[in-house]
Amino acid sequence: MTRFLLRKAVGMLGVLLVLSLVVYAVFYIAPGDPAQLACGEKCSPAQVAQVRERLGLDAPVYLQYAHFLQGLVAGRDFSAGTGLLHCQAPCLGISYRSGEQVTDMIAARLPVTASLALGAMVVWLILGVGTGLLSALRRGRLSERLLTALTLAGNSVPVFVIGLVLLIVFCAQLQWLPFPTYVPLTEDPQQWFWGLLLPWISLALIESAKYARLTRSSMLETLADDHIRTFRAYGVSERHLVTRHALRGALTPVIALTAMDLGALFGSAVLTESLFGLPGLGKLLVSSVSLIDLPTVVGLTLVTGFFVVLANVIADVLYAVSDRRVVLT
Amino acid sequence: MSRSTFTPRRLAAATVTVALVVGVAACGPKADGGGSGSKDAAPQQGGTLTVLNQNPQDQFDPARLYTSGGGNVPSLVFRTLTTRNRVDGAAGTKVVPDLATDTGTPSEGATVWTYHLKDGLKYEDGSPITTADVKYGIERSFAPELSGGAPFLRDWLVGAADYQGPYKDDRGLAAIETPDEKTIVFHLNKPEGDFPYLATQTQFAPVPKAKDTGTKYQDHPVSSGPYQVVKNENDGAHLVLKRNPNWSSATDDQRKAYPDTIDVQSGLDPAVINQRLSASTGPDAAAVTTDTNLGPSELAQVKDDKALASRVGTGHFGYVNYLAFNTKVKPFDDPKVRQAIAYAINRTSVVNAAGGSSLAEAATTYLPNQEAFGYTPYDPFPAGATGNPEKAKELLKEAGYPDGLTITLTHSSETGKGYGPNLATAVQDGLKAAGITVQLDVLDGTKYSKTIHTVGTEPGLFLAGWGADWPSGGPFLAPIFDGRQIVTDGYNFNSAQLNDPSVNDEIDQINKITDHAEAAKRWGALDKRIGEQALTIPLFHPVYKRLSGKDVRNIVISDWTGVLDISQVAVK
Amino acid sequence: MAPQEPRAGEAPAASPAAGGRQVWRRLLARRTVLAAGLVIVLLALIAAAAPLLSAIEGQDPTSFHNDLLDSAAGGVPTGSFGGVSAEHWLGVEPGTGRDVFARLVHGARISLLVAVGATLVQVTIGVLLGLAAGLGSRLLDQLIGNTTEVMLALPSLVFAISLMAIVPSDFPRPLLLTLVIGLLGWGGTSRLVRAQTLSLKQLDYVAAARLAGAGRWRIARRELLPSLAAPVITYAAVLLPSNVIGEAGLSFLGVGVKPPTSSWGQMLSGATTWFRADPMYVLLPSALLFATVLAFTVLGDAVRTELDPRAASRLRVGTARGADGPTADGSGGPTPTGPGPSNAAEEATA
Repeated sequence: MTRFLLRKAVGMLGVLLVLSLVVYAVFYIAPGDPAQLACGEKCSPAQVAQVRERLGLDAPVYLQYAHFLQGLVAGRDFSAGTGLLHCQAPCLGISYRSGEQVTDMIAARLPVTASLALGAMVVWLILGVGTGLLSALRRGRLSERLLTALTLAGNSVPVFVIGLVLLIVFCAQLQWLPFPTYVPLTEDPQQWFWGLLLPWISLALIESAKYARLTRSSMLETLADDHIRTFRAYGVSERHLVTRHALRGALTPVIALTAMDLGALFGSAVLTESLFGLPGLGKLLVSSVSLIDLPTVVGLTLVTGFFVVLANVIADVLYAVSDRRVVLT
Repeated sequence: MSRSTFTPRRLAAATVTVALVVGVAACGPKADGGGSGSKDAAPQQGGTLTVLNQNPQDQFDPARLYTSGGGNVPSLVFRTLTTRNRVDGAAGTKVVPDLATDTGTPSEGATVWTYHLKDGLKYEDGSPITTADVKYGIERSFAPELSGGAPFLRDWLVGAADYQGPYKDDRGLAAIETPDEKTIVFHLNKPEGDFPYLATQTQFAPVPKAKDTGTKYQDHPVSSGPYQVVKNENDGAHLVLKRNPNWSSATDDQRKAYPDTIDVQSGLDPAVINQRLSASTGPDAAAVTTDTNLGPSELAQVKDDKALASRVGTGHFGYVNYLAFNTKVKPFDDPKVRQAIAYAINRTSVVNAAGGSSLAEAATTYLPNQEAFGYTPYDPFPAGATGNPEKAKELLKEAGYPDGLTITLTHSSETGKGYGPNLATAVQDGLKAAGITVQLDVLDGTKYSKTIHTVGTEPGLFLAGWGADWPSGGPFLAPIFDGRQIVTDGYNFNSAQLNDPSVNDEIDQINKITDHAEAAKRWGALDKRIGEQALTIPLFHPVYKRLSGKDVRNIVISDWTGVLDISQVAVK
Repeated sequence: MAPQEPRAGEAPAASPAAGGRQVWRRLLARRTVLAAGLVIVLLALIAAAAPLLSAIEGQDPTSFHNDLLDSAAGGVPTGSFGGVSAEHWLGVEPGTGRDVFARLVHGARISLLVAVGATLVQVTIGVLLGLAAGLGSRLLDQLIGNTTEVMLALPSLVFAISLMAIVPSDFPRPLLLTLVIGLLGWGGTSRLVRAQTLSLKQLDYVAAARLAGAGRWRIARRELLPSLAAPVITYAAVLLPSNVIGEAGLSFLGVGVKPPTSSWGQMLSGATTWFRADPMYVLLPSALLFATVLAFTVLGDAVRTELDPRAASRLRVGTARGADGPTADGSGGPTPTGPGPSNAAEEATA
């Protein structure tokens, strides 16, 4: 196990390194001049050249990448005009656009995205797994069909439609819910909850159908398993069978998928974040991409990539723990 | 805010500013707007005003802001030598004194401008404001660390072209003299009658050298205005401003500053902003927006709701959306082809694509339809409401295209903008009747901006827009039509690459005039003269329609910004 | 244990030719499946006959009708239900007056084409890389595994947006969309195929083929591909609807089809704000999208139920002695019922 984790950690570093290289390469090929953008359209060529120098964009691209790596390991200094701005290791650089340190920008937004993703996860697990179990155990009942239809409907309409419709209905017309805003959990837990409820539901509606189907099939498969059949033959009650034996095996893939979805959501809940005005990582990523704010894009890619890779490792470990046949090597 | 296009980055930076500053305004004494039911009660001090915006105020350094008239939110914190007149309608296009005692004394043929500071001016910490601080504020806007402002200072001040700001060059700008703490003198390299307008921009806000923290200054800029920054989160996504105890209305007759607190929340979806303002519940009852129009879909809703309609403010900011030609590209080198397209254009389709007649007024003049710009009505190629395809076909025949013509129109992928897909398809469909087949070439926002502003890559026909840095014909016409402003190694805005000595000369002549009304007349005449060459086809002037919460009072919308002025709004 | 006939060990169900007809018959016998199948056939017909359909209506998808709009009210269609009339069966588009029916049927072409194409790209790349990883050397496996990991970790939106910026603007946009969604979303398929390959490799008949001297490529083609068909088809049925939504997401972000072309995603991305003023305009593309996704999902689930139990039980025999890798079991890893978070299209819709 230790060897496995060690190997995974090394692999993770490699993956992240390649990720940053890929992003640098893509931006090198992409059109657009970050210095002109940072300076403004009305800047004279001489001014643009000054800004380019300040941002370090006058160096060859491989040197720029080397500076980036150096900053990660040892930190870097940037001109703040009145003095030097020290960016401590691991330094992801400063934003071309705002001049802020990328690490600060990410740190400020991480709690928002984490709140969104984790809360949505709770909702989709309740909704998805509930529906899945219901449809596996009580096939054909009305309640099962209704829930299945609901989750499927959620899955087949883009979030920007569902979210806005929910918002108009529940916040504007019925006024049952406040308009979503982000209030930090540490500031006011109650406002945090109410402010995020609608984004959670919107996001969860999209994901829950997948979970319902996975839970259902996984449950059916487990119930058909030899050892469950044996238990049943011995007269163990169906209720006991489900809660004590089948559930554990059936939920393993669900938990693994949850880990992976959660990891991916850190960088990809863009539409939800934009629609509900949540200042999260995904939203920052998209705006940084269109503004060619390379340090921010690379920084965000590394952070969100880290969560994805981590989630994959967690999923692997989960299988190993739940299934003794699997040996981690 | 004269930008011919907004690149996305500008969306974050300049647009914000511009939008904030320039947002929406009412043309003429506002016919609508104002809090429902409470219009007559006198506005009171106190309360919290909420501002709901799309674009975060991600730059708040006075050196980096690109504003028109000092900005809307920025103008609450930064006072400048002069400022815009904060009254409704056309009178709001006037420039008035702010820190200075008057709008400036010109001498030596408007190449030297002198200002004196009012008495008793203080920063938020109680220390006195001096002209040295104004000079320093301008100087630091030349630092590459703090780029982003308008190009005029660099272009106009003597010896400023290569100046790199006080961090690299502590000798300062010799073009700005401060003989004493109250006097400041500017030396320009050419006559500029519009200098008082330039002095409204935030670069003219005082910055105490001892408090300057370079790129970090924007986190807490030292206030000279009625409010100071107490919170600036997530890159300006959330700003909280509180009353500045050292500001006094005795030295500031422009800003009313009724609310105690101003809470600026941005990064919001436009549809959500309008839903919140329309629901107007809780704190949203005292909310306004400075950068979000009512969308077309919401207008349909407002039409059926009188109470809601009474909360809509209408404004006009000097802006034009137009089709730009590159006359170096065939077949647009032929004036007949350009005229044919001008005749064929269907402005009804165009206006509908821009949100309908409530949000856009069909335009045949390049200058905005406001007196301050020198608006002179003209229509050299009358196309009527839906185009004149017969006349267009005739001209095409004369030009050697009897069987119609296929052309390419370049546009941006950004939806909801004046140069996005909606407008492009409207132009495309409109030209069909005249036998002109339009192929659309869509470029992603950043690429679009770079392509159309680079001399070598500029397409033959593209969608563009231009907005006013201040309400005057100069900054509207000169960057686009002055042959000496053609830039071959950077961003070029003279898209027709017109270099007509008589036009250049006329621009120089008008710049010497310090009487705004007289200059306006000449700008109007020049616009007409250029318009007849069909170098651009004006499409429409946008109209701003903005909702405000039901408790919001004293809504003032000048034609300078087109948006309600936050410094005038009351919530009690 | 080592029969001379390489195919002797093969379970009867793994022969797609023999089992296929049975499965087909059983599928057709179920009403919901029949309905889903009909919906899909209908949609394909609509897409194929789009020009004909709009010609019957007498409209085309790009012509403006300004006379049908209330310009002062933001360009909302005059008349009830979004301007429904004998000329415009489903009303007209706000702001332009373009015919909604014509745009919907023409939009079906793009939406379905992009989704099907992207799914094919995903499946092809996924199967090839998955097979190579499963059958190749340990080094190759690791290389492919790491590449997949990088693809999964890469924010697909960054790539989608930058690709759109890099590619010349005259490159056909539907093809570009297909490639972008396809190239970014093969990670799940590749993992699934690798896992299945690893477990199939342990099976008697494959071992037998290997002992009989069959090369790797031959084993992949003759022995593995037929058995992989079931899980891959099932997985594709899950990928396809999420690719439909992916196109919508990209359109919403401004990197969809070029105007004046219509697609469901393009229609929806501009429609949501009209929810109150012109509900028809939102409901129509939403309903079509819903029907498409639902039909494919139902069909996918049914195919799985028919195909998978046998595949699963066969797998279970093979894994008795422990398989190589954590996701070798039929119920592990990205199972056919649950795509991983690897689908670019899906990410774009969150």
